[in-house]
Amino acid sequence: MGERESSMLSIKGLSVTVDGKPIINGLNLEVGAGEVHAIMGPNGSGKSTLAYVLAGRPGYTVTAGTVHYLGQDLLALPPEERARRGLFLGFQYPVEIPGVNNVYLLKAAVNAVRTVHGLPEVDAFDFLGLVREKMKLMHMEDSFLSRAVNEGFSGGEKKRNEILQMLVLEPRLAILDETDSGLDIDALKVVAAGVNSQRAPDRSCVLVTHYQRLLEYVVPDYVHVLVRGRIARSGDRTLALELERRGYDFIAGEAA
Amino acid sequence: MSTLTDRIAQDFASSAPVLQGGGQAAVLGRRRALDALEAKGLPSSRDENWKYANLRSLERARFVPAPPVETLPAAAELPPALPGIARYVFVDGHFAPAASAALRAGVVSRTVQAGDGATMADERFALLNQAFATDGLIIEVDETHARPLQLEVLFVASAVAENGGSYPRLEVRLHPRAQLTLIERHLSATPAGSFITSAVEVEAAAGAHLEHYRLQELNARSILFDTLSARLAAEAVYRLHLIGTGAQSARSTLALRLAGERAELSLAVATLGARQQVQDTYAVVEHAVANARTAQTFRGIAADRARVAFNGKIIVLPGAHGTDSRQSLRGLLAGPEAEIDVRPQLEIYNDDVRCSHGATAGKLDDAMLFYLLSRGLDRATAQRLLKWAFLEDVISQVTLAPLRRQIEERLAGQLHDEALRELL
Repeated sequence: MGERESSMLSIKGLSVTVDGKPIINGLNLEVGAGEVHAIMGPNGSGKSTLAYVLAGRPGYTVTAGTVHYLGQDLLALPPEERARRGLFLGFQYPVEIPGVNNVYLLKAAVNAVRTVHGLPEVDAFDFLGLVREKMKLMHMEDSFLSRAVNEGFSGGEKKRNEILQMLVLEPRLAILDETDSGLDIDALKVVAAGVNSQRAPDRSCVLVTHYQRLLEYVVPDYVHVLVRGRIARSGDRTLALELERRGYDFIAGEAA
Repeated sequence: MSTLTDRIAQDFASSAPVLQGGGQAAVLGRRRALDALEAKGLPSSRDENWKYANLRSLERARFVPAPPVETLPAAAELPPALPGIARYVFVDGHFAPAASAALRAGVVSRTVQAGDGATMADERFALLNQAFATDGLIIEVDETHARPLQLEVLFVASAVAENGGSYPRLEVRLHPRAQLTLIERHLSATPAGSFITSAVEVEAAAGAHLEHYRLQELNARSILFDTLSARLAAEAVYRLHLIGTGAQSARSTLALRLAGERAELSLAVATLGARQQVQDTYAVVEHAVANARTAQTFRGIAADRARVAFNGKIIVLPGAHGTDSRQSLRGLLAGPEAEIDVRPQLEIYNDDVRCSHGATAGKLDDAMLFYLLSRGLDRATAQRLLKWAFLEDVISQVTLAPLRRQIEERLAGQLHDEALRELL
């Protein structure tokens, strides 16, 4: 299999500024189909910026480099188009939207993807069945169905809701931005089970995380350490364990 | 004397034959109201509290009461009846018994017996109403009503402004501990641009509870000036919901007085303006005694070239210790040429109070918008959803489920979104 065919995400020489301040500085990353990559790094290293840039959030200026997703120029697409083509961002801080029902949003999101593929809208009844099934996996209560998006949710509920959306949308590439932060161990296991259930040869996942704890439950194929906006070191999961033991300083020292 | 008051006086003189009802006392009351109005004059846009209202719209109005209609609007033209709620219909200010539920103990329609005249500031349009109103509905509830009484009053406008005005009038008196749910609707039965001056007076005795919904759904050519004054005795609870989506120009003047200790007022207002609509709400809340509470929530959306204004003034008088007032006023600009004016005002004459206010006027929340886009929703749908969400703080206070549904459908229509109906 040639490199292009198996490439899910290809980032070359990416530089990003926010309000004129450089945050990402010539970052390279290749994610193949079916792979799980973990991106770790100290606070302020550019992890969340990378996640937002990939999802197309306004306010981030790409000053150099290219990003290809499934062979297409990702940066040329508006955020909604990226989502419809199977890119999913799990937010570090999921947004509360009072007045917009969870199921309505899920259905609108699924239908947006289906429209791109020329499929008819989902049957409301079947859809509800699917959502209930995924909710069970995420240990979510039925009352969730009638609630507004993230409104009054605890931190853990919000994160589980992000994963639920991912399970229902079945993205090709999921970028999960600190989905593990603020979770207790039980919630972490539930979230990890959700992520693991998505692993498939044609689907990839980028886990952005500060701690290696999540990686005990979702075992990554590759671990990258981001320091000052570029990948300072890459390795397998043992790199995460080493970071846990020695802290980020040793790599930051090497990268300096 | 301005030309406008001249015209009003002339129209009053020429209306004398139709303004004879109610006996000598009523005739004198109308005269007094007119005299007071002549002395005060109608407001002009130079008045601080009237600068957002579209007073120019008065120029095309004729003040004589519109004549009674020959044919009543068909039931199908009116909003669907709400289950278990008695409906009373007025057309152009005239009571329409044929389209109404039977009058009953506590619900009386009668020729207006003009009272002592408006007393609080800026009730000049209430004087206009008093001078020209013919019929009115008087609702008087005491605690012997086994269940909380639920009533709907429809004020239907059909006359064109050039042929005369409509003067709806409602007086609500709650005896101690009485309970009432009142739905007051203003709507159009024809495409005519009507001129409506309505007045509502509320008197809530100790421990009474009033849930009052006012829906303003007039057609886009009509002009409405309404005045609502209310007085709350000790421990009375008044929850007032104003949902305004219609009219070319609508001005609401609210004068609400907390006159008894531990009285509670909740004012929740949602107004939507599009095209060139003007929606102006001016609310004065007066805390006259100790330990009363006020909560104000305003959510307004202005699209196209519309102007939406809310001016909420809270006055805490010297004796009103322990006053608790909260204002959450938010306006949303949904068009580059739209205008939002949101103004909280506090006048506090003692120290022992808790008054909080927040007022914002802005655009849609970027974080929310991006969240929806990141889920694949197209930009237009995401924006409409967020407008919907913006109104939630007001709409969620509508506890009467079938009414809430009607309100939501109306709002979905106003936001031009069939897809939103799925939310309901």
